Amino acid sequence: MMSFKSVFISVFLGAVLITVVLILNARRPATEVDQPSADFVRATGKCAECHRRETSAVVHQFERSEHAKHGVSCLDCHKAVEDQETQAHRSFTIAKQLTAKNCSECHTTEYTQFLRSRHAAPAWAAVLGAKDFTAEQIAFAEKYHKGAVERPPNPLAMAEGKSAIDVGCLGCHDIGKPNPDGSIGTCTACHARHSSSVALAREPETCGQCHMGPDHSQIEIYHESKHGVLYNAQKSEMNLKAPPKALTTADMTVPTCVTCHLSGLDGLNVTHDTTERLSYWLFAAISEKRPTYQQGQDAMKETCLKCHASSQVEVYYKEAEGVVADTNRKISEAVALMTSLREDGLLTETPFDEPIEFLYFDLWHYYGRTAKHGAFMGGADFVQWHGNYELLLKMTEMKKIARELRENAAKP
Amino acid sequence: MPENSEKTLRNRRGLAARLLDFFVTANLAFLALDVFLAHSINAFAHPAEWIPFYFSLGASVLLALILFGKKRQWKEWCRFGVGWGAVCIGISGMFFHLGSEFFSDLTLKNLVYTAPFVAPLAFTGVGLLLIMNGMIHDTDLEWAQWVVFMAGFGWCGNFILSVFDHAQNGFFNPSEWLPVFTSAIAVGCLATLFFVPYQPAFFRFCAVVLGINFIVGIAGFFFHLTVDLQASGGTQIDKFLYGAPLFAPLLFPNLSLLALLGIWKMSTRN
Repeated sequence: MMSFKSVFISVFLGAVLITVVLILNARRPATEVDQPSADFVRATGKCAECHRRETSAVVHQFERSEHAKHGVSCLDCHKAVEDQETQAHRSFTIAKQLTAKNCSECHTTEYTQFLRSRHAAPAWAAVLGAKDFTAEQIAFAEKYHKGAVERPPNPLAMAEGKSAIDVGCLGCHDIGKPNPDGSIGTCTACHARHSSSVALAREPETCGQCHMGPDHSQIEIYHESKHGVLYNAQKSEMNLKAPPKALTTADMTVPTCVTCHLSGLDGLNVTHDTTERLSYWLFAAISEKRPTYQQGQDAMKETCLKCHASSQVEVYYKEAEGVVADTNRKISEAVALMTSLREDGLLTETPFDEPIEFLYFDLWHYYGRTAKHGAFMGGADFVQWHGNYELLLKMTEMKKIARELRENAAKP
Repeated sequence: MPENSEKTLRNRRGLAARLLDFFVTANLAFLALDVFLAHSINAFAHPAEWIPFYFSLGASVLLALILFGKKRQWKEWCRFGVGWGAVCIGISGMFFHLGSEFFSDLTLKNLVYTAPFVAPLAFTGVGLLLIMNGMIHDTDLEWAQWVVFMAGFGWCGNFILSVFDHAQNGFFNPSEWLPVFTSAIAVGCLATLFFVPYQPAFFRFCAVVLGINFIVGIAGFFFHLTVDLQASGGTQIDKFLYGAPLFAPLLFPNLSLLALLGIWKMSTRN
């Protein structure tokens, strides 16, 4: 005869164990267990188990990210989406290469805004031309940036060669790379991969990775400007992590590049289209007004007004536009000189094979741009010494060379 | 029992003892494969991870040759050498596993995904069984009680591992709860068995519970095999390395047999 006591104790002990497990399991966060498949559940912890040993930094970066705080798992980003090549990775199926398409699964609006910007297709085409884009991609980009994608490859880059292009030019210009999955670009250029950080994108140094040097010296100008000086002095008091749609001047009392160009400061519209608040083609040799000149200027002035009185803003714009007009006049003089030399047969058709061509290129590409950017960004020294002084010097040198070319041509 | 019969009994190693030796030898051999797979996931990142692999490989071969061979004079040396070696490896292995993430950050998540710190104690368990089998005769009740006691500990580990392994999946398939429930009852039965007096009917009840667990383990093996075969993986080996742990469910029939051995001897001795 079996004692009921034995059975009861057995079942009771077993039930206690089961209850403990059920309680513990119920206490797991929903983001760890409430997932569309078992793979997604495992990805909330399994990936880190290996990657803590193999690439530990990425795990720590991710753990500190907003993505982690919101329960995004590794597989949420690394899963292959439509048209992406897959690879088997330790019992997971993941995308072979992550692109903006993966980010756009959740951040559709941001990606669409980015696609309209010059950071998208025009950035890549500025080096390699239109050949890597589909007809649809070209047509889309040309709607917003006429002639910026349907264009030949950059002659200077071609003259410098493949290694210079791959390691040099594309280091920055691949922000608009056409991806095999049909998407364009990479969000990680500004937000980084596993940090996926808004704060990082708000750092001036992030923009300064590419917007630096003599041809687009925005970061140098920014640090010379009052904005830059104040930012560097007060950075520790600012909240760069504030959510984009809730950002206020209390979070960022001093602007960085992103604050003026993209952020939704105190209720303004957030945008990932870097051109939305611009009014001139400042990068061009002769800077004309953009087709969206008025909207762009109005949008930028709205940001300015968060800190400055409208009278100050108007004066500022008037002075900057004055520099643009003067620079245009100086560059036009150089353009006319080069055109006349070419018409007179004193220059070859091959680009970048004669010293005066480099002088001319430096004149508008370095010093003309620097003077104009300096004027719009509060960089006095860049308007004057790194801009106008150099414009004068290079123009004088160009005139001398032109004179010599004509004299040599006149000799019997 | 007459003195001469008692003496005869003590000089003859019984069937249960030989079965236990076989159980230990087979388990050590299987541990070599299991450790190899488990530490391959880690790519044997720490050189010490090779120690349990080589130990279990060498020890199982040694035990097979000596314990089941004819040279009686080496048997005891071999038994206690391997036994204590296994005990040391199990405990030191647990300390190595204690260095895992969970013990630097005590969260439920880390507990689920951490290196299984109870797993190395399998070595300690088989080591102690080997030593015990050399010190206590299988006709003694104490022998059976120790076997049931060790099997009970094994089932505790088995219960914990089945919880954590399936928690990594978030118990996505409800059937993943089944081994948790059945192993919990098995733990309850063995714990009760150790403290209650002789009850043939309860022995049978325990045998039924263990039989169910035996079947659950075999079914689990085929479930895991199916899942692994259907999984995506660079190679077939990858599927088994990083997929559902193929051999883990076999711990159920393995420990069922050990517990049944103890119960059998317990019932006959009583």
